[in-house]
Amino acid sequence: MIKIIDNTLSAFDSCLPSKEELLKFCDLLFTIGVDMIELSVAAYLKMEQLPDKGKFVLKIEDIAQMKTYPDFFRYSYHREEFIDKVITEVQINDIREVIKLKALDRCKELRIVGLDDIMSKDFDVVIRNIIKTLPNCKINLCPENTYNCASAIAVQWILNGGNEITSSFAGCKGNAATEEVIMALRLAIRHKPTRDLTVLPELTALYEKITSLKIGNNKPIIGRNIFKVEAGVHADGIIKNPATYEAYSPSLVGGRSEIIIGKHSGMKAVKLKMEEQGFSLPKDYIVEVILSKIREYCTENGNSLNDLEFVELVNEVIADERKQIYS
Amino acid sequence: MKENKYIVDTTLRDGEQSPGIALSIENKVAIAKMLDEIGVYEIEAGIPSMSEKEAESIREIVKSCKNSKISVWSRMNIEDVKKSITCGMDIIHIGVPVSYVQIYTKLKKNKVWVQRKILECIEVAKSHNIDVTVGLEDASRADIGFLLCLIRELKKAGVNTIRIADTVGVLTPNRTKELIATIKSHTDIQIEIHVHNDLGMAVANSIIGAKAGADLIDCTLFGIGERTGNCNFYDFVHASESIFNFAMNKKQIKRIEELSYSILQGAL
Repeated sequence: MIKIIDNTLSAFDSCLPSKEELLKFCDLLFTIGVDMIELSVAAYLKMEQLPDKGKFVLKIEDIAQMKTYPDFFRYSYHREEFIDKVITEVQINDIREVIKLKALDRCKELRIVGLDDIMSKDFDVVIRNIIKTLPNCKINLCPENTYNCASAIAVQWILNGGNEITSSFAGCKGNAATEEVIMALRLAIRHKPTRDLTVLPELTALYEKITSLKIGNNKPIIGRNIFKVEAGVHADGIIKNPATYEAYSPSLVGGRSEIIIGKHSGMKAVKLKMEEQGFSLPKDYIVEVILSKIREYCTENGNSLNDLEFVELVNEVIADERKQIYS
Repeated sequence: MKENKYIVDTTLRDGEQSPGIALSIENKVAIAKMLDEIGVYEIEAGIPSMSEKEAESIREIVKSCKNSKISVWSRMNIEDVKKSITCGMDIIHIGVPVSYVQIYTKLKKNKVWVQRKILECIEVAKSHNIDVTVGLEDASRADIGFLLCLIRELKKAGVNTIRIADTVGVLTPNRTKELIATIKSHTDIQIEIHVHNDLGMAVANSIIGAKAGADLIDCTLFGIGERTGNCNFYDFVHASESIFNFAMNKKQIKRIEELSYSILQGAL
């Protein structure tokens, strides 16, 4: 049984939002397919009480906090603890340290944090050794993202027989990105918990509001520009059949394909954009002039065209053509 | 001993295809010169058939670079190949769609047509003494049997390097390993790996591809490229310098990123 713990809400202590926003964030995380949400004590206190739905993990600094906050499904704790409901967290920075895990075989649940470089090692063997070392322990892997490989490691852990991972939204805690892991598992092994990914733009906007950080335009799954296509050959493919250049349908994550007109556009994309903007299509030689002007304009300005600029440019070319015909 | 691996930088081709940027001749030449200086093996400089200005920028890059091989990207189209040849570069890279969705839906052709067409294009380029590499587009969703047959035909036609392109970015590390290892064990062709970051796995997949036998790794500055981008040059070297030898170090790549940030920031 695959389980994803999202620990984003243990990272907001310096920018704690309102109770309502925290509750909304939890609701959206469960909606996209997260199984458990990990909170810091500060985030929990701000929420006042846990929502009725969903399982929650509390990150504690002292084991006595289990009694102070008794309502949680699990408690994550950074020291060895062999009691029920505690996920013991251990840092493993080097694969040579995997052997040390033997000492923790009395743990019922263990979270391994680190292992950021196993892609440059024999990752199959490393994963197999970890699972073999702790046969009676529920192991949760939280790979760190030092080398921009955390999502791949988390997914590979699941594909190689692991069951649980810890990640955060957009990878904001320096670990795997929850949304990348969910989508990769969906595509690789058709893991589809009955959830809804179309709320991702809403979750992204809320994340940006809470943290005051902007998600990169090309960030996988949630970036604003990831379904914008400019290159002629790609735009042509998308027009004929979106599956030619899309790993999944943008509508699955609340997005949509968009043909952008720029230096790399071709005739077909320009014609499509003209129709979109209400122009009736002129003869091909005029479209060629428009395309040439687009390339010139974009190269001079170092950017693609927005719709307004496109309409102005097309109108100018058509007006010039008329002048030449009637002069 | 660490294995040597070679970087193919495609910032000026795939990277420039990101919405939000359009590079001038001066900008393209400036970036190419910096990549050339740090020992990038191959610089994919652009697409000559796009416009005369683009072809001109590639000719300028050819003139300005001393060490790197300069390559251009071409569609599988004889006219485009002929246009590319006028740029005087070292390598022409011809893209051939290989997945069934690309062949039957986008091209609306069949496998026999694809094979015939690519061999015709290679012949035209070879007749001008230009080195040809072939990009197997959407290889990650293609039938492996077809891929292996096609690679054998390409090798017979004098192609020594093929690019395995994860065009839509769906590979995972284990699938990358399997794909590259299978090609490696069934053919004697040099492999270049070109992955996209749609699932956030471009760096990991490039490392795994290189470990499985790809000698050439496609990267871009800041990881820019179509949609979510390509393999990030800095991150790739940072993540794998403990197991591979590269001509450059992280510090040199970081310096180029600093100097080109203002030019490329529109794609980020």
